[in-house]
Amino acid sequence: MNRLTLFCSLVGFGLTCSAATVEFNRDVRPILSDKCYICHGPDAKNKHIPFRLDHEEDAKAKLADGKHAIVEGHPEQSEMVRRISAEKPAMRMPPAYTGTKLTPKEIETITTWIAQGAKWEKHWAFLPPKRYPPPQVKDAAWVRNPIDAFVLARLEKENLHPSPEADRETLIRRVTLDLTGLPPTPAEIDAFLNDKSDRAYEKVVDRLLASSRYGERMAFDWLDAARYADTNGYQYDGGRDMWRWRDSVIAAYNRNEPFNRFALEQLAGDMLPNATLDQKIASGFNRNHRINTEDGIIPEEYGVEYVVDRVATTSSVFLGLTLGCSRCHNHKFDPFTQKEFYQLYAYFDQVPEVGRGIKYGNSPPVIAAPTANQQKELANVNDQIAAAEHKLEANNKSIEHAQKSWEHHLPKDQFWSPTRDLIASFPLDSKDQFKPEGGPIPYVPGRHGQAASFDGKTNLNTGLLTPLDIDDPFTLSAWVYSDATPDGSVVSDMTDNPRGKGYGLHMDHGKVHVNLTSVWVDDAIRVESEETLAPHRWYHVAATYDGSKVADHVHIYIDGHFAKSKVLMDTLYRPYRNARRKFDVPVRIGGGWGPERRFHGLISGVHLYSTVLSDEEISALAVPDSLSILAAKKPAARTPLENKILRWAFLDTAAPPRYRDQWTQLAALRLKKEKFERTFPTVMIMQDVPERRPTHLLVRGAYDKPGELVQPGVPAVLNPLPPNAPNNRLGFAEWVVDPANPLFSRVTVNRFWQMYFGMGIVKSVEDFGSQGDYPSHPELLDWLATEFIQENWNVKAMQKLIVTSATYRQSSEAAPEALQRDPDNRLLARGPRVRLPAEMIRDQALAAAGLLVEKIGGPSVMPYQPPGLWKEIGMQDTDYTQGHGADLYRRSLYTYWKRTAAPPTMINFDASLREDCVVRAVRTDTPLQALNLMDSEQFLESARFIGQRMLEEGGNTPDARLRYGFRLALSRYPTAAELGVLHDNLQYDLDYFSDPAKAKQYLQQGEAPADAKLKPRDLAAYASVASLILNLDETITKE
Amino acid sequence: MSDPIQESELLQTRRHFFGRGATGIGIAALSSLLSSEIASADTSVIPGYPNFPPAAKRVIYLFQHGAPSQLDLFDYKPGLTAKRGSDLPESVRMGQRLTGMSAFQAKFPTAPSIFKFAQHGGQGAWLSELLPHTAKIVDDIAIVKSLQTEQINHDPAVTFCQTGFQLAGRPSIGSWLAYGLGSENKDLPAFIVMVSQGVGNTQALADRMWNSGFLSTEYAGVKFRSGHDPVLFLSNPGGYETAARRRFLDDLGKLNQLNQHKFQDPEISTRIAQYEMAYRMQASVPELTDLSKEPDSIFEMYGPDSRKPGTFAANCILARRLAERGVRFIQLFHRGWDQHSNLPKEIAGQCRQTDQPSAALIQDLKQRGMLKDTLVIWGGEFGRTVYSQGTLTETNYGRDHHPRCFSIWMAGAGIKAGQVYGETDDFSYNITKNPVDVHDLHATILRCFGIDHTKLTYKHQGRRFRLTDVSGHIVNDLLQTT
Repeated sequence: MNRLTLFCSLVGFGLTCSAATVEFNRDVRPILSDKCYICHGPDAKNKHIPFRLDHEEDAKAKLADGKHAIVEGHPEQSEMVRRISAEKPAMRMPPAYTGTKLTPKEIETITTWIAQGAKWEKHWAFLPPKRYPPPQVKDAAWVRNPIDAFVLARLEKENLHPSPEADRETLIRRVTLDLTGLPPTPAEIDAFLNDKSDRAYEKVVDRLLASSRYGERMAFDWLDAARYADTNGYQYDGGRDMWRWRDSVIAAYNRNEPFNRFALEQLAGDMLPNATLDQKIASGFNRNHRINTEDGIIPEEYGVEYVVDRVATTSSVFLGLTLGCSRCHNHKFDPFTQKEFYQLYAYFDQVPEVGRGIKYGNSPPVIAAPTANQQKELANVNDQIAAAEHKLEANNKSIEHAQKSWEHHLPKDQFWSPTRDLIASFPLDSKDQFKPEGGPIPYVPGRHGQAASFDGKTNLNTGLLTPLDIDDPFTLSAWVYSDATPDGSVVSDMTDNPRGKGYGLHMDHGKVHVNLTSVWVDDAIRVESEETLAPHRWYHVAATYDGSKVADHVHIYIDGHFAKSKVLMDTLYRPYRNARRKFDVPVRIGGGWGPERRFHGLISGVHLYSTVLSDEEISALAVPDSLSILAAKKPAARTPLENKILRWAFLDTAAPPRYRDQWTQLAALRLKKEKFERTFPTVMIMQDVPERRPTHLLVRGAYDKPGELVQPGVPAVLNPLPPNAPNNRLGFAEWVVDPANPLFSRVTVNRFWQMYFGMGIVKSVEDFGSQGDYPSHPELLDWLATEFIQENWNVKAMQKLIVTSATYRQSSEAAPEALQRDPDNRLLARGPRVRLPAEMIRDQALAAAGLLVEKIGGPSVMPYQPPGLWKEIGMQDTDYTQGHGADLYRRSLYTYWKRTAAPPTMINFDASLREDCVVRAVRTDTPLQALNLMDSEQFLESARFIGQRMLEEGGNTPDARLRYGFRLALSRYPTAAELGVLHDNLQYDLDYFSDPAKAKQYLQQGEAPADAKLKPRDLAAYASVASLILNLDETITKE
Repeated sequence: MSDPIQESELLQTRRHFFGRGATGIGIAALSSLLSSEIASADTSVIPGYPNFPPAAKRVIYLFQHGAPSQLDLFDYKPGLTAKRGSDLPESVRMGQRLTGMSAFQAKFPTAPSIFKFAQHGGQGAWLSELLPHTAKIVDDIAIVKSLQTEQINHDPAVTFCQTGFQLAGRPSIGSWLAYGLGSENKDLPAFIVMVSQGVGNTQALADRMWNSGFLSTEYAGVKFRSGHDPVLFLSNPGGYETAARRRFLDDLGKLNQLNQHKFQDPEISTRIAQYEMAYRMQASVPELTDLSKEPDSIFEMYGPDSRKPGTFAANCILARRLAERGVRFIQLFHRGWDQHSNLPKEIAGQCRQTDQPSAALIQDLKQRGMLKDTLVIWGGEFGRTVYSQGTLTETNYGRDHHPRCFSIWMAGAGIKAGQVYGETDDFSYNITKNPVDVHDLHATILRCFGIDHTKLTYKHQGRRFRLTDVSGHIVNDLLQTT
């Protein structure tokens, strides 16, 4: 009995006396998991150890020597008790070499548990949440909603009392920061203070939830979880554009998308039937991982890392599981096998991606993602195009009529080719004025009018300079003929050497070869046709490139048909004109790839376009017949394309002015649309290859050690795939959000809880497995999880439920007893008191200063940052280019995030580096934070403007001004004692800044100009007091 | 730990002793940042610490970023001269995976070093003519020719050297030591990093390389920069003098105290203390980084570069000054060792920048009696290939990344100096004797501090992580017998 009493006072502190029952999940499993599973757990490495403690049957089975480890109700007969409490080190479990040890209390817990019958339970988090009725409590009047009943019941068990409700100023600041990430304005505070209605607080909450700032605030945490950044990470860490994804997250929260729908689209929006642009963008969640672009890497190795990152992030964010642990071996603590890891992996490894990414920009799969405004404008242009087409269509009869007579009078040898975005067209006939290089170039009859004849030593220098660079699209086309296997450069814009810089269409031993080279050998794209061209016949060859720096987007056409090609190199990234270097090489025909690779044969009909021509347009270029030959055919004998060619030629050159005008207008609109579309931002999205590629288990997780084949599948210990769900990523997403999934809802509400109380009900928000923390309020967690499902995953309703609870509304002032018994406030006998996250600290200062520029979304911006931070560690030629004007004052979630050199203020205040997924909130307290708040330009400028607001808006007396400034940051007025200190400080500062030189210098922080009417001495003194206010512990704390 | 109350009680008991930090702050964090008095072995997070008698109190790690060629500095291969230009035998290469850069290369011509080697010191260690100053201290260092790594690209390889794992997310070695042992100086961070630029081909670093990973961010390396603000935001704004800042902090303290009475939240006291430390740093860091009072003899010793702020040489002097002030982990990164081409010219430039100051640092520590408790490490993230990348000419060649062997040196506390450890084959391609992998190096470094590398752990995502992951063997031969 003595021992049991001891047990009661230590472990049972949180229990009523009658509940001295040991609960397996709460009390015993964590000990087994932490201290025993490493050897007696699920890892296959333990196969040689016969005794397993992760399954009840095994744990209670008869051992080889006839004994039982666990005899229900009889610790004295249980071998396990004997071994864990053995005196002799040689006998004692766990063995000394493991470095782990059971504490006397843990031994006692296990002993008591066995004495009480050794009741076994499946791990709590893998059981479906139970809907417990809110418990009865003594102080029922305190309860505002069921959350409070659960919290209070626990407090009453402990003989603890909830704290009184926080005063209104504290409350409105707390809830405004929590729901919008910004402090309330003085007017909002006054409105709340003066609202005597019962619903006053609720009205505030409704207003905040309806504000578009709410979506921005909710996005903070999601961006961390999604490892969102503006750069690719790893060594080059070049830029990427994922802000359209970021903005879609903000929009989804603001329109209160049901969370199951939101999650589904984050995971598999691209796979939904008729997926919308927004749904595709949402799937970018799993493209936010780092992408390695270093030349020397083995792409397959990193291809594996990306998939592993997706599995780890997805399981951490949506399931609260540390499945990354099963990459190399069975999970040591939870019932997940290595094979199951690769079954999940198989949902995420079907992306058509290359392990080495694009150095600067987005790596495929990528889509154009016009913003809402751009979509509107595009629709407008489309309407105009449709109207113009309609106009022409309406005149079809008259046009046809006019065209007929034109067809009868066509001159010989007139050809048609598309004129849009044409840079140059070289028919190559004796009319040419080009200077031949390397010898005379005769003109001979060709397949398509005349042709220039090259002998392998000569080429034509057209003298033409183009502005094209690696981001620009092009189409190159020509007719070629050779008596041997075609070889040599056809048309190029590159320095005349085989390692030259530039782009060109060549023949390489009969293959059509396209290359774009910035720096030989590794900064280039090279693509060649699979087909080899034969001697003694004419071919039409063409190549298009869309400016994406992706080799797969170089297309080759032979005789007007798309030709299969092979990628030889795919690492183009530096512009030809990198670092303002010149690139003024002329276009050459028959050469420009070095003297060794001049063309040998005939070339004619060369075209250069600054666009990607359509398949049809390229087919038209490949029609060898002149217009008169086409016209000579009866209309019915012509191909549809030939008919079109005649129509286009007629409209281009010979139609009556009225129709030509209409045609020209249509062409202009199409050009406008194309140019406009090129300005669209892009975003990386998820996408699956059409035909499933096999997935192998990777032995020890190594990319080059494929093991057995695996099929996609979900872990056996959890719910099965829902009926009718396809067994692909979409089906996986449906499984995640299935109400039968025991984890998804719990994990989500737990993360919400952490936002408000600084800590989850399960403290380890990323780990609901057996090594994770047991919930402080398990029944509340389950109630919230089931409530979330019942309420249709209504995110705003869930936030409202939490922030309107009496639990949330408590004062955070700690009663000494409660503080002593529960310093971390896990039982919630008081309101949350938590340091603000990094983004809020900066945004709050900007808001209080009146400097904040509110604009939702758009490309990331570069506010103040000490110069040189990128350059001193990053690749050459990269540096931070600080923005100006509005860019300095946008909310922090729009700050440009470079992974290898993240924004210092964010990092100082514990933002995650965004290298990988982080869902647990971290808060530290360091001198670097103090320096950051005291001395950085951003905070000093904000202080300067708070000072200015004190002087201009605060009233006429120092007291009124100080009170005003204090309230801007803290939403309350200072106490008399506080005002006294502020006053003294102001006096000191006024004296100090009576030296005009000092004042002038001090006021030079930041780019926003001060009101010239103010006296520098006053402004400096008030700015200094404002800086003091911004540095207060309370200012950076949510009270 | 399952019961919140129980957990809190335990924490509270500890905090009773050490004062309470912000949520999640470990014991060592406080010892690292707040006060030197409490940084005794009793407060260590390492069970049973010291696990061995500690020799080292601090580390100076001279990281040569980009991977210096062992073939041109330490690993003398006279036999290669005769094989010049011949293809590296497949029996040596043994299907070794190549980086994407030389995987396309048709031939692997053997490229002997064009630099002359000579023997130095009591043990007759071979050193290249590029290291005349290192030659003078060769009896004070242990050269290890048999380091090996698993990584073949800079970013993962440096990350591996720094954290024991090739992907981002784990604490760096300096963070582990700061977490485990705290700092000996109440005015300075426990882990300080300085970066200098070389003259050769340069690759990128990342803040993550000295980050604390899943350990609390106060163990992250603090980067000291050359110039106005050695620590970000260190100086007061223009026109704001120390007296004004002092007054500011006094009033800030008063206001925070008033709240402390109201909320009883010990975090407020921690914040006050952090502001005081920031203030002390404002004084101590400029004093520390001001080299103007160093005598001329010191500048002469460290070489002409040492008068230029931000150079490797100047950083070496700073490293000594930090060591004098008890900073636990001082790490210099010198960039520019990535010689894929033009190796002879570039490596000579790199050596001109690093050889003299590295040697001077050893001599300087020695003359101050600090070498005995300061561990100094010199080395990069992997080695370079014996075959030439690109064209091999009489005077020029390049070398690709080579993970299977590379050379470093170690000196000072606990290290048995005056030896050359490990051997490689005739091509400096494979290790033939005494391989040391990166985990072994880490285990050995921790051993110098009296730490059993299997005991310095941190529980994250349910698993107890350690710097040496699941391996690591102490290289006893490198250690002095005690």
